[in-house]
Amino acid sequence: MELILFFSTALLFASAILLMRNKIFTRLVSVLYAILLIGLSVHGWFNLNKTFIHYFTFSHEGMLLLSTLAIISLPTFYHGFRYTYNSTTRHFNIYHASMIALMTFMAGAYLSNSMTMLWVFVEATTLSVAALIYHDRNKQALEATWKYVFICSVGISIAYVGILLLGFIYGRYDAASLTFNEFSLLISTANPIYLKVAFVFVLVGFSTKMGLFPMHSVTIDAHSVAPAPVSALISTTLMNVGFLAIFRVFSLFSSTEILSFMQNSLMLTGVLSLLIAAGYMLKAYHIKRMFAYSSLEMMGLVAIALGSGKSGYYAAILLVILHSLVKSSIFFSMGQFKQVNQSYELKQVGNYMKNYSAGALLLLCSVIFIIAIPPSGIFISEILIFKSLIEQQQWLTFIITALLLTAVIYALLTRVLHILFSDASEPIEKTNTGEKINVIETVPQYVLLLIVAVLCFYQPPFLVDAINASIESLPK
Amino acid sequence: MMEFLIVAFAATLIYLSAAHRFRVFARFMGAQGVLIFGIALLELNEMATANLVLVVAETLLFKGIIVPFMLFYIIRRTQVFKVHAQATPSFYILILNAAALIVSVVIAYTLQNPYINTVFMTVALYALLSGLIIIVTHKLIISHLIGFLIIENAVFLFTIALGNEMPALINIAMLLDIFVGVLIMGFFGMRLKPDTGDLTQLKD
Repeated sequence: MELILFFSTALLFASAILLMRNKIFTRLVSVLYAILLIGLSVHGWFNLNKTFIHYFTFSHEGMLLLSTLAIISLPTFYHGFRYTYNSTTRHFNIYHASMIALMTFMAGAYLSNSMTMLWVFVEATTLSVAALIYHDRNKQALEATWKYVFICSVGISIAYVGILLLGFIYGRYDAASLTFNEFSLLISTANPIYLKVAFVFVLVGFSTKMGLFPMHSVTIDAHSVAPAPVSALISTTLMNVGFLAIFRVFSLFSSTEILSFMQNSLMLTGVLSLLIAAGYMLKAYHIKRMFAYSSLEMMGLVAIALGSGKSGYYAAILLVILHSLVKSSIFFSMGQFKQVNQSYELKQVGNYMKNYSAGALLLLCSVIFIIAIPPSGIFISEILIFKSLIEQQQWLTFIITALLLTAVIYALLTRVLHILFSDASEPIEKTNTGEKINVIETVPQYVLLLIVAVLCFYQPPFLVDAINASIESLPK
Repeated sequence: MMEFLIVAFAATLIYLSAAHRFRVFARFMGAQGVLIFGIALLELNEMATANLVLVVAETLLFKGIIVPFMLFYIIRRTQVFKVHAQATPSFYILILNAAALIVSVVIAYTLQNPYINTVFMTVALYALLSGLIIIVTHKLIISHLIGFLIIENAVFLFTIALGNEMPALINIAMLLDIFVGVLIMGFFGMRLKPDTGDLTQLKD
């Protein structure tokens, strides 16, 4: 009942925004929606493991990701209001209605307890994201939108073949409505070759959403063009949707003999993602693309963590949550970065600390957090990943990961320090846009970073318990 | 009859891999739609009538008529008639296609299952790989769209093979078709007309 209410209210809100054509009304409804989402998260924590309308469960892993989305939702709307301030009422309303739709579909995907329902919500997120990426309506936005929709569609089709293969295993009329729990009871009797093929299809297919190699290029282009608050979501909570899909199938199959095959596949995908990310970050020319590759690097680490097992499982989920908070903070600050520097091209920007110290300090802090230097909570995740690799005696992966992470840190620090303190090598003539820059806009990002810093030193028992419950079904 | 339709579907894939003119692509996509309609009609005989009517309408109307019509409309609007930019020469594409067929046969026989006909699975896998090969080896985005439509037909063929047992999966595949409709109409029909060439503004 609660979820029907949530979905119908979201539909009502999005429709009302499109019909009313009033910016103040849109702002009001968007904030109400964010409160609704936070309310759903709180309600979910009080109803853990309860199933609604057969297809949705407030599972631990789903609730962790839903809560992350709820935390990010308010700053996303706030920065969205700022970004679309000068947009026409029509574009302003389309943007916010699509944002509500996207958050609703993501919430649906987090709470889905069957593969087909999860797939339907993932498919739906693609359409709403397309409308958001296309917000600026220029040639680059069109290209990015086309690539995003096209590659995601191919990925979704491939993932669906994986789901169909699961259907072949079961072979009954109600296969489409089978929940993960019901499936786990049947999985031991399945042909391992089917499971392997299904896993590969699901991994490749949902990589489009998680932003992993080999389907990573789609999110990179989308990040570089999308409005900053949209990039913040694509790079974090939307990637988490892909992660959850892969994680659920991984958990489902982990009791079978294909566990080592899945772990090796994830490890390989993760290392290749890191390699691509490090390579491109070393020659980055565009700051948003550089941070997009940083997301690829983080998801690569998550894949390695899942593949390494033991403490890696815990590290993977913790990293997904912390990365969401830090990376959204970085992308939110990109809006002001563009306002001040009027460019994202690394050669065209410089002396950011002198020009706008509040934003520059935030960028510096964010980069320190993303490269996992304490007090960043990501430090804990990465330590756990390396610990897990050592425990499993994965020395080669350990060395490659360490080397590639060093390259990533070097690339990020050299470029960001250049932006902060050096003159631009190819400065552009800045025009006065008349837009006022407000220091208050940096506050939500500092709050997000503060949460990550606290989690470095103190992880509250409910968080630890929830992560442990999420990985309970995985082999120890 | 069923085997004839499936083999005919596989033959269209071989022809599509070597085709150069977009009108040929459009015609063959229509032919694939009609073949899938025939396969659905013969295969889904145990399905509830209402659902069957929906499936038949979707395959014949959407895949057999609307998709080729939209493709012809796009060709007229964009005035792009030939695949003049391939990342790989046609000869190698054919070789890749033949390899895809062999791989499909091997996988389908490895994955033999009481719930699905092996020939069905072979052709569905072959269609999936053919679509991917067209996407990877062609540069123009219309060719990419054709590749995606072939993948989408492959997915539908998979679902038809399971349709009697799992009608819900068919309905979900139809959702994918609607998605394709949005993709084609939204971008090609409305917006992407001037940029039908290869899109290269966003790169590293």
